[in-house]
Amino acid sequence: MAETSLSAPAPKLTPGLRAALPVLALLAAGFLAPLLTVAAYAFATPKSFEVFRSFTLENFAAIFDVSNTVWMSFAWALALAFACVVILLIVCYPIAYGLNRVFGRWSGLVSVLFVFPLFVSENVRLYGWVLFFIKNGVLDGALKWFGFPGGPELLYTPGITLFGMVYVYLPFMLFPMTLGIAMIPRDLVDAARDLGAGRLMIWRAVELPLAMPGILIGALLTFVLSAGAVAESKILGGQSVITITQDIEAAFTYAQNWPLGSALALILVLIVSGLALAAMARLDLDKILGKR
Amino acid sequence: MSSVAASPVPVSPAAPKTPRPVLQLVDVRKLFDGFAAVDGISLDIEEGEFVTIVGPSGSGKTTLLRMLAGLESPSDGYITLRGELINDVPSNCRPTCLVFQSLALFPHMTVGDNIEFPLRVRKVAPDERRKRALELMAKVRLPEDYYAKNVMLCSGGEKQRVALARAFAYDPDVLFFDEPLSALDYKLKKLLEKELKDLHRESGKTFVYITHSLEEAMVMSDRIGVMRAGKLVQIGTPEQIYTAPADRFVAEFFGEVNVIPVRRSADGWLRRDGRPVAVAPGLAIAGDEASVVVRPEYMRFVTAEAGADNTLSGTIFNEYSLGSRLQYQVRSRTGRTFLVEVPRAAAWKGDGEVTIGWDAANAIVVGG
Amino acid sequence: MHTLGETRSRFLIRAWTAFVVLAIYLPIACGALAGLSKGRYFAFPVRVFSGEWWEKTWDSFEIHVLVQNSLLIALIVTVLSVLFAFFGALAFARYPWKGRRAFQRLLLLPIFFPQPVLGLALLLWFNALGISPTWKTAVVAHLVWIVPVVTLVIAIQVFSFDPVLEEAASDLGASRLFTLRTVTLPILWPGIWSGALFAFLLSWGNFPLSLYTAGADSTVPKWLYSKMVAGYTPMVPALGTMSTLAAAALLLAGGLIRILVRRRMR
Repeated sequence: MAETSLSAPAPKLTPGLRAALPVLALLAAGFLAPLLTVAAYAFATPKSFEVFRSFTLENFAAIFDVSNTVWMSFAWALALAFACVVILLIVCYPIAYGLNRVFGRWSGLVSVLFVFPLFVSENVRLYGWVLFFIKNGVLDGALKWFGFPGGPELLYTPGITLFGMVYVYLPFMLFPMTLGIAMIPRDLVDAARDLGAGRLMIWRAVELPLAMPGILIGALLTFVLSAGAVAESKILGGQSVITITQDIEAAFTYAQNWPLGSALALILVLIVSGLALAAMARLDLDKILGKR
Repeated sequence: MSSVAASPVPVSPAAPKTPRPVLQLVDVRKLFDGFAAVDGISLDIEEGEFVTIVGPSGSGKTTLLRMLAGLESPSDGYITLRGELINDVPSNCRPTCLVFQSLALFPHMTVGDNIEFPLRVRKVAPDERRKRALELMAKVRLPEDYYAKNVMLCSGGEKQRVALARAFAYDPDVLFFDEPLSALDYKLKKLLEKELKDLHRESGKTFVYITHSLEEAMVMSDRIGVMRAGKLVQIGTPEQIYTAPADRFVAEFFGEVNVIPVRRSADGWLRRDGRPVAVAPGLAIAGDEASVVVRPEYMRFVTAEAGADNTLSGTIFNEYSLGSRLQYQVRSRTGRTFLVEVPRAAAWKGDGEVTIGWDAANAIVVGG
Repeated sequence: MHTLGETRSRFLIRAWTAFVVLAIYLPIACGALAGLSKGRYFAFPVRVFSGEWWEKTWDSFEIHVLVQNSLLIALIVTVLSVLFAFFGALAFARYPWKGRRAFQRLLLLPIFFPQPVLGLALLLWFNALGISPTWKTAVVAHLVWIVPVVTLVIAIQVFSFDPVLEEAASDLGASRLFTLRTVTLPILWPGIWSGALFAFLLSWGNFPLSLYTAGADSTVPKWLYSKMVAGYTPMVPALGTMSTLAAAALLLAGGLIRILVRRRMR
């Protein structure tokens, strides 16, 4: 097996590449191909099925046309996603900190408690909130039972949609953040304190920067997932909020306007995957996932 | 390129007297992306020898060992085992065994399972395997009840013994050791050094050992090879390496030395200040520039009663305790620092202005 | 050890976490309640508890079909995911090869991607190919999302696997297959087991992908959603609660098996 000094022109079938082939095939056929098809349809004539035969920017013109309400769906989706991220950053940080530094032996159990809801379908969980907030539901009924006038009309508002998103995507912020805080070496905090730094300063100058990769991943993941969410607005928000995914769905199904739907989807995908790739370019995944 | 000291074939008491070396390397090279980790090494290893390769980190000794074990293939050159070319023979087909630095014990198996693993590979029956494992455990002084113990629950020293037992299980012709003792504390290291040496003597097998610790090398080896930057700089018995180092690098690698630059003159060597230096007869040195190397323990304080072949004057500016010996740092008139080591009983009691000296027999000329 | 301020913050952290945990399980509890109330429409406080809706759900033929579909999809997805992901994890974490970094990023893309959009894109793709969506296309959709997740889970285990062990096995004379069987797989199995568990549970409870790509075939979450929108009966929370309990039981069983096997190896 004498080593060649010239590099081979074609990629050698190394063990690594061979092992990756099944997954690569799956992702090529099941992820890249559909997205490319969507991209192709985005440039097709509106309301037609002539993909790869027509090329027009009319769909995008329709989207960016201010008189159309379609751009509102985008605005809603992105604004809700942003708000969701901000809220979850605040909600999850203490918990992530607790999992690393406070809960000790119970960390494992608490983690499981937070992971388990991911295995329950989100519509079941969200419907539980419907049962909570609906007239004669848990909140309304409980208040009435105590003699108060009934519960507030919270359902079918943008606010409750946001609440639903915060609820569903909490684990996706919590776990990367926990991983991020786990990457702060304990000695550094002790050393900073030993050098006389106050609590706030330690947090700002030592802990926060070191946990930042995890926090950013959590924020990115949460933003990306909630930007494309649909269940929360459908189940909790009723007609008060139409998210972009709902518009895409409408275009694909009863409106039968595949090109428009594809154009919408393409823009969303570009935003979402663009952010994801930009963040991932800076990350050393090996180190984060624990490579020796 | 400095010369390689010729060495007589050392004969261990239990070694059979075969004329042909068991392992031979001829101009072996290993390139990684154009970088030569091993750069043309030729070496003969005799049957039953204990050869240690020493060198600083990055000198290529681990790569060399891995090529011998079959985990890497040479880019160039030949490796033969008992005369047969084994360049491309994979490690599972070689009658050799490598004890890894991390020991590579299988964490999901017990002590017994670990030791029996090579026997399982060779389809030895379970009873036979168990018998052999217990024999080996006795040989490496592991208690019998450790057989069913999970290997990760053993202490550092115990893990070493398991690794050794596993290595001997299938009676390999050559054993390779990749710095196995480096992670242990001093006492344990000393104990295991002795046990390794005993194992070597009892088994009569060929051991090829690498380490960066000169102490280990000196204690255990029949021969020592010094590597630097992928090349073998010198090979010889511990005695030879210590008293006749091939060059300054080897001399300095084996401990602190005093180095005096000299230049050639008509009938010998002259110091910078022109005074002649009386030296021991040694290797031929090419060129006109060289260094004279004197080990600190051969330096002494010169008095009216006790002279020396070579002297120089200076001032003591530091004193260190090395346990049973004391080390003095002396600054010469030229600003050079010299180290003088004396037994505690001979501690210098005068003032700081001293004359230090050494005998010609202990002054070795080296190139570089 | 802790200052007074620290003790107080630790308490606050514990209190906050407890509050959030309660909030997370509150809707699940509400669903459990609703499934156990006698009346057709949910009202709190529940006046009469009854198990009749649970019985109806248990006996319903329609629901049996649903459960079968969900189970079938989940089982196939689990087996295929573990196969794909095992090799994918080796490519991700073990072998140094040229495209590894790009592969790592590509693998993460389906995870950093809103599922409904993925489901819709797949719907478009299948229709463009002329394939009508059925439970089989749902399997494919699940795989696209779940295989990367399982790959990550197994890759984490692979990262902590020292490749020196395989070298040592080879040095001791073992063939590649023997090493795989006796060294690699036994050490990696906790990651593989967790991955399989995740794959099953994520597929069983998946809503957005199944919604768009299962076509006429229905799964448990799909059916629940359709009834939530129109035609609510307490069978909905009943089935939802049953499904949740089944998932919990499976998770517990999986965890127990892992602890037991680990204990046996000591």
